[in-house]
Parts: sequence; C-alpha cells; structure tokens
Amino acid sequence: MKILVSLLVFFHILFASDATIEVIKKAETLPTLAIEDASVSYNDTFKLQFFKSLVADMNVISLFNVDRHYRYTHYNAVNVLVENKDKEYVLRYKMSEDDDGILNVNVKLLQQEEVVFSKEYRISNKDIYMFISHAIAYDINAFMGEPSVAWMKRKVIFTRLIAPKKTEIVIADYTLTYQHVIIKGGFNIFPKWATKDQKSFYYTSLDGVKPTLKYVDVKKGTIKNIISSDGMVVCSDVSSNGKLLLLTMALDGQPDIYTYNVDTKKYKKETFYKGIDVNGQFFGHNKIVFISSRLGYPNVFSKSLDTNEVEQMVYYGRSNSACSVHGKYIVYEARESSNAFSKNTFNLHLISTETDFIRRLTAVGMNEFPRFSADGDAILFIKNYKAQSAIGIIRLNHNKNYLFPLKSGRIQSMDW
Amino acid sequence: MKSIVLSSVVTALLMFSGCSKDPAVAEDTKAQEVSTPVAQEVQPVATETVSPENSVVDTTDTQTQGLSISEIESKLPTVYFDFDKYEIKPAMQEKIDAAAEMGTTVAKDLKVKLEGNCDEWGSDEYNFALGLKRADAVKKALVADGVEASRISMVSYGKSNPVCTEHTKECWAKNRRVDFKVLP
Repeated sequence: MKILVSLLVFFHILFASDATIEVIKKAETLPTLAIEDASVSYNDTFKLQFFKSLVADMNVISLFNVDRHYRYTHYNAVNVLVENKDKEYVLRYKMSEDDDGILNVNVKLLQQEEVVFSKEYRISNKDIYMFISHAIAYDINAFMGEPSVAWMKRKVIFTRLIAPKKTEIVIADYTLTYQHVIIKGGFNIFPKWATKDQKSFYYTSLDGVKPTLKYVDVKKGTIKNIISSDGMVVCSDVSSNGKLLLLTMALDGQPDIYTYNVDTKKYKKETFYKGIDVNGQFFGHNKIVFISSRLGYPNVFSKSLDTNEVEQMVYYGRSNSACSVHGKYIVYEARESSNAFSKNTFNLHLISTETDFIRRLTAVGMNEFPRFSADGDAILFIKNYKAQSAIGIIRLNHNKNYLFPLKSGRIQSMDW
Repeated sequence: MKSIVLSSVVTALLMFSGCSKDPAVAEDTKAQEVSTPVAQEVQPVATETVSPENSVVDTTDTQTQGLSISEIESKLPTVYFDFDKYEIKPAMQEKIDAAAEMGTTVAKDLKVKLEGNCDEWGSDEYNFALGLKRADAVKKALVADGVEASRISMVSYGKSNPVCTEHTKECWAKNRRVDFKVLP
C-alpha cells in the first residue's frame, strides 16, 4: 500500500510539470483588478484606445480578473473610486503630453488603497502607445513575482498577401495592433527573425529568376542575397547563436531540408526522402523536428543531425502540416476532419518528449501558424472561424487563449 | 533602474516610427474596433523588383511558325490535381501529351516555366513544396514525351497565387494546378 501511494505521488509530481497535462487555474481564485484613467491630455478616442489596450494586456498576463468598465478619476486621489472599493487591486494611470509632444504615462498599482508599485513611461510617438501598455503589463507581472512575459514586448513579423503574387512584409506588436510595412511591393514571403534582438530578418524573394533567400538589416536598411535555389528556398529556423540555418531548398526540384552555415556559406543536405520534407526546427541537442510526407500524408518527425535516423513523433491525426518547437515541447497544426471536400477543422496540438499525452490547445476553426515565444511561455497563432480572423495567444501554463480580431488581409507566413 | 527602463523602451521603440493601421483591441476574449487617426508612413526599405510579367520580354511580334508566344501559351493546358496529391491523373495525361506535342513542333525553340499551385489548406511551407512536386511531376511527364529537360524550369507559389478565393470545393479544385508559362 505504501509503495502504491508513493508511486502515485511520484507520478503526480512527474507529470504535474508537463504542459501536456492541463493546468486549470480557476477564474474565481484570481484577485480582482480595476483600471482607473486619470489622463489630463488627449481626446476621448485615444484615451479609450489606450484603456482597451491596457485591459487586454492585463487580461493576457492571466493574474487578475480584470474589470472592463472605463472610469475616470484624479491621479492623486487618496481613495479609489467608490465602484472599485471592492477590488483587491486598482491600476491607475495618467497620460499627459508635454511641450515637446512626448507622451508621458504615470502608473501606480494600489492594493487596498495603498500604493505598492509605481513607474513612469515616456514615448516620442503616441501612435505606438500599445508598447507602453505592453511594458506596463510586463512590469506588473514582474512585480507580482510571476515568470517573465518578455514575449509581450517582442515584435511579430508577417507576410500579408494583398493580391495573387503580391505581398507586403510587416512588423507588428504581439496583438498586431501596431503595424509597420517594412518591405513593400513584389512577391516576398516567409520572413524569419535572424537574431534574438530582432534587428534583422531573412525572407524569400520570388521576384528574380530563381527563388532567393535574402537578409535584411532593419537598422541599416540594407538587403543582401544569401542563397538561391531552383523551385523554392525558405528559412525555416535559425539556431540560437544565429550561425546555422535550417533551409528548405529544392536544388534539383526536390524539396529537402538543409543546414546552412552563415559564416562558411556551406550547406549540407539533411533529408533524403523523395517526397516532401519541410519546416525543419532545431530540437534538443543536435536534432531537428520536421514535417514529412513519407507516410503518405504530412506528419511530424525528428532526426539527428549526425545520423540519418528518422523517428516518427506523432501517431495521431491525418495531416499534421506545420510545427514549432521549444525545449521538450512541439506544437503542431492538425487536421481533424477527414473529408477533403468540406470545411475542415485545424486545431493546434501539443506534445512533449516526456509524456504520451496530446493536449488540444484550440477548439474550433482553422488554427494555423503556431509559433512558440522565445521563452516558451506562450504560443502565437492565427485563427480563422466563421469568416473572421483573429490572432491568438495561448498561455500554456494558465490554460487560457486570448483572441484579438485581425483585419490584416490574408497572412501567408508569420514569425515571432 | 527607471532611466534604464525608459531608455530601453525609447530605444526599442525608435525603430517603429511608422504608422498604425487597423488597430484591434480586446476586452476579455472579444474586441471592439476603434478608428485611428491617420499616421505618417515612413519610407519603406529600398528594394528593386522586376515583376514576373515584366521579366518576360514582349515577343508579340515574334512569330514561331505562324504562332506568337502569347498564342502558344493560350493553347497550353492547366493541369489539375487531387487534394494533397502530386500524381498526374489519367485525364490530365492527355493534356500533357498535347503540350509536349507543341513543345516538339511549333514551340520547339521556346522554353517553358511550370508554376505549381495549391488550395488554401495546410501550412504554406508544405504547400510550396507540394506545388513544386506537382510542377516536377508535369516536367517528368513532358520529358517522357520527348521535351528536353533543359528547356523546362519550375517554380512553386504555394497558396499565394489563387485564381479564386471562395471557400468551396470547386474553387479549391481550381487552385490545385500547374500552369504553363512560355519563355523565349
């Protein structure tokens, strides 16, 4: 009996740390938070925009039950508004524009009417106000002692299809509220951040004689050619030190995965199957995960870079055509209906190398482009459902998904 | 600490001196769109592009045994494929045979580019590869019919070159295709 109990405890501890086992944090146990606007500048439209951005970000950090009512007060009022007396926390902020047109934001967090946190933020261009909202949520999250949500401050890069064979490459915040077109005109696809600091990226250009992989230094505004290939060339992943790329190329018309050394400019073929091998992702020590049609349908496999041993990773589903990797976790896009001639459901699934469980992360619609955040705490994706598109954030350890309506046109590819 | 945070925020944000378009905001899991003021758009990164249409020299007054390049191209077929497949269907083989016949007679001095395309399902990287396999299947069939391999080039557009965008099985079938483009 004692052995059985201790075994049960052991297994509970073992699996409790794996995100493929659902972690349910009940909404009722979260402390309540109200947000009070004490701004002294800007019109009502902008004030409401900022308020809504802050409500969204404070929701996404998943630490509070956030009250959505917009209320106004004075920044130095001793008491919170009477409607917020029953809230455990109140986040009060004041936006003010100075003589140089700089947006200043003063913030304080009150816990039972006592100031427990305060900070000031400044930004030269109020059109990028959402980055202040993200920074506030990031700082409150850190103040509350929670694991970092640094991904909130990172940029997303995506390609938008504006007409057949015509695209724009856009840089945005994680909600895609702010968007800046960085490459306009032409047929340019599959952007991929080249470095952790997100100051450069790769993309594929189809405007020349052959598909060509290009490298952009955002700060300098320079573009250089990396490699061309007949048929296709895509940068699927970049190693953590930025020195090794995983490319999908079709040098003889046959799409395969190659490793490419940025310094030596040499490439090495990694897959040899005569069908389709794409979407390579660096995984663990000297391994990759990729999508292959070697079973007659797209599925997830892994391979060591030292040998030609290939291992099937997913034994469920009829079509698993895209994946993203972080640590021991793989998130992949799974087709869940078998009829090729009707509306299909594509849901995101999560597996880990330490359990046999598959966790379904989305429920309805066509969910695509799963991308782990750099720290693995969140997954970004696109959902298309009932003629509407949304960008989604999955907080893995909070078992919550957040959706932001998207009106960006058709997204071809996305990286975070 | 404060100044470090401020300066890091300002530095990071200096890269984004652009315009905001179509902002979307969330309340819980729903959102409400608020219109934004027009913002100044900064200069894009300089690029030089030659569109596929412009990369082909106009040869309308170049005759090939009585037929112009555009006339030849209009007689070449579109080859269609089944869902998630790149094998040539029997009904499509006749079309490829007819194309090869032209390739060895009236168009024997010309080159052809095969453009592979896909419907909207699945990831685009997988679809780019699938489109390429479709183009490659047509190329192999043309070579088997006597067209020199050196005259045939291939490209894939994945799901990025649709001829229709309706979410219907008829539209999906139209997009699962290989197009022929004639080059001088």
